[in-house]
Amino acid sequence: MTTFPLPLFGSSAARIARLRVAAVRTAAMRTAAVRAAAVLAAVLVAGGALAQEAAVPADADAIVDRIVENLRGGGQRATIRMTVERDDATDRYVLETIGDGDERALTRVVAPPNEAGRAFLVDGSELFVYAPRVGRSLRLPPSGRSDGFLGSDLSYDDLAGDELRDTYDAAIAERTDDRVVVSLVPRAGAATPYGELRLTARLPDLTPLELTYLDQRDAPVKRLTLHDPRTLEDGRTVPTRFEVVDLTEGGGRTIATWEDATFGVEPPDRCFTLEALETGCRW
Amino acid sequence: MNAALATLKLAWRSLFRQRLRTALLIAVVAYATLSILFFWGFTDGFLNAIFQGQARLVAAPVAVTTEAYHADPDPVHALAGLDDVRRAVTAVPGVRAATPRLDVPALLRSPYAQRGATLRGVDPAGESAVSDLPDAIQDGRMLEAPGELVLGADLAETLDVRLGERVAVDVAAVGGPAATGLRLVGLIDTGIEAVDAGTVLAHLADARALAGVDGATELALDVPRGREAAVAAAASDRLPEGVRAYGILDQMGELARGLAAERVSMIPIGLLFSLFGAIAVTSSLVVSVMERTREFGVILALGLGHVRLAWMVVLEAILGTLLGYGVGAVLGYALLFVLHEVNVLGPLFTGVYGDFLSGLALGDEIRADVRLEYLAYAGVTVALAALFAALTPARRVARLVPAEAMRAAE
Repeated sequence: MTTFPLPLFGSSAARIARLRVAAVRTAAMRTAAVRAAAVLAAVLVAGGALAQEAAVPADADAIVDRIVENLRGGGQRATIRMTVERDDATDRYVLETIGDGDERALTRVVAPPNEAGRAFLVDGSELFVYAPRVGRSLRLPPSGRSDGFLGSDLSYDDLAGDELRDTYDAAIAERTDDRVVVSLVPRAGAATPYGELRLTARLPDLTPLELTYLDQRDAPVKRLTLHDPRTLEDGRTVPTRFEVVDLTEGGGRTIATWEDATFGVEPPDRCFTLEALETGCRW
Repeated sequence: MNAALATLKLAWRSLFRQRLRTALLIAVVAYATLSILFFWGFTDGFLNAIFQGQARLVAAPVAVTTEAYHADPDPVHALAGLDDVRRAVTAVPGVRAATPRLDVPALLRSPYAQRGATLRGVDPAGESAVSDLPDAIQDGRMLEAPGELVLGADLAETLDVRLGERVAVDVAAVGGPAATGLRLVGLIDTGIEAVDAGTVLAHLADARALAGVDGATELALDVPRGREAAVAAAASDRLPEGVRAYGILDQMGELARGLAAERVSMIPIGLLFSLFGAIAVTSSLVVSVMERTREFGVILALGLGHVRLAWMVVLEAILGTLLGYGVGAVLGYALLFVLHEVNVLGPLFTGVYGDFLSGLALGDEIRADVRLEYLAYAGVTVALAALFAALTPARRVARLVPAEAMRAAE
């Protein structure tokens, strides 16, 4: 189970109330931004998937951007079956997730029954969790994004890929006819404990295949492999099965499989509010 | 008056007529007195070591902070107007240095583990004046610039980070979540679990950026040892409303009250030493009275009354005990003085009870305390000896029949 040892400063209730107001204020702006992005995407898609595949950027940062776009898959609604394997036990979860493909996602546990109702809301750098047993929402520290949720090895950063672009300097470490390996080294003062990340993608469509986390002694400590890519209408190839292996001593394995996934959707802003976190979002 | 003086002289001479017995009596009382002095000197020295350990390794000799922060240590209650506060307290006699600190609850992450701890933002140049931690860095060095981190050795081991490696630090700050990566430059190894497993030092600028606080949660003051409470009281008088200076006992709160209660609970043990000493004196006197029955019979036959004879026995007990008390006091204070000047107890106790004591911020320096009040504690032995002597040997003497006493076997 994910643990959250940090006390929140000041009044959490007041901050959550401010967030509700801020969410309403920014909703209109976000809608406009999403629509603008959609128009831009439509223009790009008009160029055709072939054009996208043909133009593999030479610049490492641009490659990472494209890989991250594929990793995220844009707006989506899906059911995720997640298996968490440890030495002594295997836990299975069913999750329902809604994402805007940008920086917001709402994930709710629907099974097993003792975990059902637990929900997570990612809003930019903010992460909130709703615990149905206590009926309260809590804002978590930024580390919550890189913690495995529900005791798994899979984190929101693994799914979102924001950290790859914002925290690391990219350089092409290896390139062959069918794949490229990008080395990601933390920038000065980066809030990451890793020494390097190695991101492998398939060419020419830059479908993400593997992300290996190395410690600061060049030893791999975690590996995320991505399988079963699904090609979307806009040409993106989105992996639909994630396998995370904790390579440290006693580490486990987590497999997350996307089922009933609908990509290219535009969830309404009300799906990414604290009300939606507590009561769910249907649209 | 003359009779009393004569009885006193008689008792004094009797002490030296039975030299072996008197020497034994003096040795017993001296031993009890020395034990009591050592017991209290060590107890207070031990408590002082804990207080000083707290003052120099965990808290501060005197901490100036807001009353709100003292009640609820949340950075939202940080000190405002730090420069004014600093000016006010540095003018207080006894304040040798003042340095700001900013304590922030943080989560430290390595690729292998994560731990919650209180990150202390410090001014590297000023911290060594109020804290022994900079001197306790066994590997690496003290902070020199922002972006650096010093950890307790046990905490670094738990996180499995080495010198030169980056540690991710997350904070739920006043203005929202904040995170950064700090490079480990020093490891503190004091042998004290509470310090080695919990210390996180970062540059004040990093702590401010993380916490979203411009000032400090406290101003730590360096004051002479033993004057913490007095200086704190004097400083508080000069501080604005809502800001107070706290001595080490105030900072320790429940722990200080617990230790004070421990000291009180030691009193029965101290009294037990006195009781054993008094019983030893009394038993020695009882034997003495039994052996001297014939002598007492002669004295009674020569005209000394029963009451004066009983008083003589009591005075013998008091004089003998006083002599032992004097010898014990000289030896005891000499011992305490040596144990105060030379740190013998610290290595001895940390070596033997290191694991047991590791939960306390107790360094390897334990020096005996030397206080005049210990004379009063040891004086209980003399009082009890006199009381017991009056109860048993003196009553026996008072009941002697001269003719029968003179026929008693030697």
